[in-house]
Amino acid sequence: MENIIELKNVTKRFEDDGSAAVKDFNLSVKRGEFVTFLGPSGCGKTTTLRMIAGFDTPTSGSILLDGRDITALPPNKRPINTVFQRYALFPHLNIYDNIAFGLKLKKIKEDEIRKKVTEVLEIVDLAGFEKRSTSTLSGGQQQRVAIARAIVNEPEVLLLDEPLGALDLKLRQVMQRELMRIKKEVNITFIYVTHDQGEALTMSDRIVVMNKGIIQQTGDPVSIYDEPQNAFVADFIGESNIIDGIMVRDRLVKIQGVDVPCVDTGFAENEAVDVVIRPEDLDIVEEGAGFIDGLVTEVIYEGAYYDIRVMAGDYEWHIQSNMSATPGKKAGLAILPDNIQIMHKPRSSDEEIIEKD
Amino acid sequence: MDRNRKQRQLLALPYVLWSIAFTVIPLLVIIRYAVTDKDGHFSVSNLLAFSTPVNAKAFLISLEIALICTVICVLLAYPLVMVVRRLRISRMTFMLFFLIMPMWMNFILRMLALQMILSNNGILNMIVTGLGFQPLALANTKAAVIIGVVYDYLPFMMLPIFNTISDIGEDVLEAASDLGASPLSVFFRVILPMSLPGLKSGITIVFVPSMTSFVIADILGGGKIQLIGNIIEQEFTRSTNWNLGSGLSAALMLFMLVGMSFTIKDDILPSHPVKDEEGEKKEAPGGEGISRRAVL
Repeated sequence: MENIIELKNVTKRFEDDGSAAVKDFNLSVKRGEFVTFLGPSGCGKTTTLRMIAGFDTPTSGSILLDGRDITALPPNKRPINTVFQRYALFPHLNIYDNIAFGLKLKKIKEDEIRKKVTEVLEIVDLAGFEKRSTSTLSGGQQQRVAIARAIVNEPEVLLLDEPLGALDLKLRQVMQRELMRIKKEVNITFIYVTHDQGEALTMSDRIVVMNKGIIQQTGDPVSIYDEPQNAFVADFIGESNIIDGIMVRDRLVKIQGVDVPCVDTGFAENEAVDVVIRPEDLDIVEEGAGFIDGLVTEVIYEGAYYDIRVMAGDYEWHIQSNMSATPGKKAGLAILPDNIQIMHKPRSSDEEIIEKD
Repeated sequence: MDRNRKQRQLLALPYVLWSIAFTVIPLLVIIRYAVTDKDGHFSVSNLLAFSTPVNAKAFLISLEIALICTVICVLLAYPLVMVVRRLRISRMTFMLFFLIMPMWMNFILRMLALQMILSNNGILNMIVTGLGFQPLALANTKAAVIIGVVYDYLPFMMLPIFNTISDIGEDVLEAASDLGASPLSVFFRVILPMSLPGLKSGITIVFVPSMTSFVIADILGGGKIQLIGNIIEQEFTRSTNWNLGSGLSAALMLFMLVGMSFTIKDDILPSHPVKDEEGEKKEAPGGEGISRRAVL
């Protein structure tokens, strides 16, 4: 598949203090792909999206669309459309005129416009809403109009800036499925921005995890979840036990003074590392039967599993297990070697990315 | 609930009494004078006096000046607002303060100052001749009156337009340009239509007073420009024909009520109500937390 969007060494510095919102960002997005920028607020994901849309200009680097440099092109000249977090509908126009806004600017014939608007209203499940005013719509409906207003122009790329952020949980889940369906129906490249890891894992073909303006990891949802490349990604995607360890040799790591077999290789001998273990990968066993013992401090029944805390040494382990435990009693923790993730320590707090292989 | 509402309505009582005493009763007195002759008999001749050549001419000049001034105010206000809305909040406060400041000076004083500036040997002509141009003959002309009215009423045009435009969310403007609108189309397709409520109240606030003003014409027109306001004033102060003055006044009021009815309707209704259906928090588009209205 060919690349539709390419970002090459894109850096964006803030004008007031010169600090970088996005640092040396490199990414290629393939035609038809659903790519999500995921990260905490202030990680540079929205700034990157705004540079692709044309609202912000990179301080350095270039943005290519279909191989053509569009870095200096204003937003109105880019075949890219955006769905905004707060919908940004035109309150002085009805639904029909909101959706027809882009088509009218392109001087398309009125009956052609009518046809396209009717079609797109059907896609977003709002057939018959043409004459309604935007203020009579619920949040979910307004967001559908915003999506329709963007996709009716058949853009090369659709940018979505936390489009579900203003909706409540239930509606958000419905809209996630809707978006995936719409994506399939219109077959446009989607670049999606969110801070919600669940949303990213559910919808994306590929996730770009960002922090402090730097890509932390790029990969499909499964690899991002199962093989986080550093402590930040592990912590941000799902819950994790992240604990200091020492790589004794290949396939053996020392955790809290105990040697534990693992599957990782290629680290220096006795290198200080971050050990990442998902709560659901830990098992509660009899005292002495696991790799480490600790005091059970808390057990909460969560329905599908028990959420258990075990204090061992100075670290409180987080376990999600279908086996319960008794608070105040000692218990052991067991783990399978391939459920242990070993990571290099970040070289500095600012530069937390470590390319593996 | 009804009782609460009644209690709340009591809060309006002071104003109601005030307006009865100083608006409603005087208005009724004027109407009574307008429809009677000097002996107190019913007559419509005072109202019809509006169409005599002298009065009709004054009326047309007033209309012309009011229209020109309103248009100039609109043309000055929009670009100014477009610049001011982009400023940082501290500079915006300063700019608005700067624009409103002249209103803190006494009105008559302002007009007298303007008279000095515009007079044939005034500061303006000193500058103009200093630059090597022919001196301007602005004193006691329609142009001088127009300058005076625009000078006086520009803030009243600018502020309501500014209020509506600063309520437009930045993302709405970005959406327009994202959908292919050039900066010019963004203005004409989004900013202008969305600022119509402000424009309408601006027009109402500027057009009506500039139509009826007489002091500006007195001072800057040097008595050579007779507006309908001047004629009405003279009927009361010099000819002491209160009936005729009231008749002209009532006729003028009627004309403006009809002319303005289209704006009044829209100003009472909110321009775009925000409905909350799903219990979501809905801010005005782009709600930035800082209400720019507060600046005013």
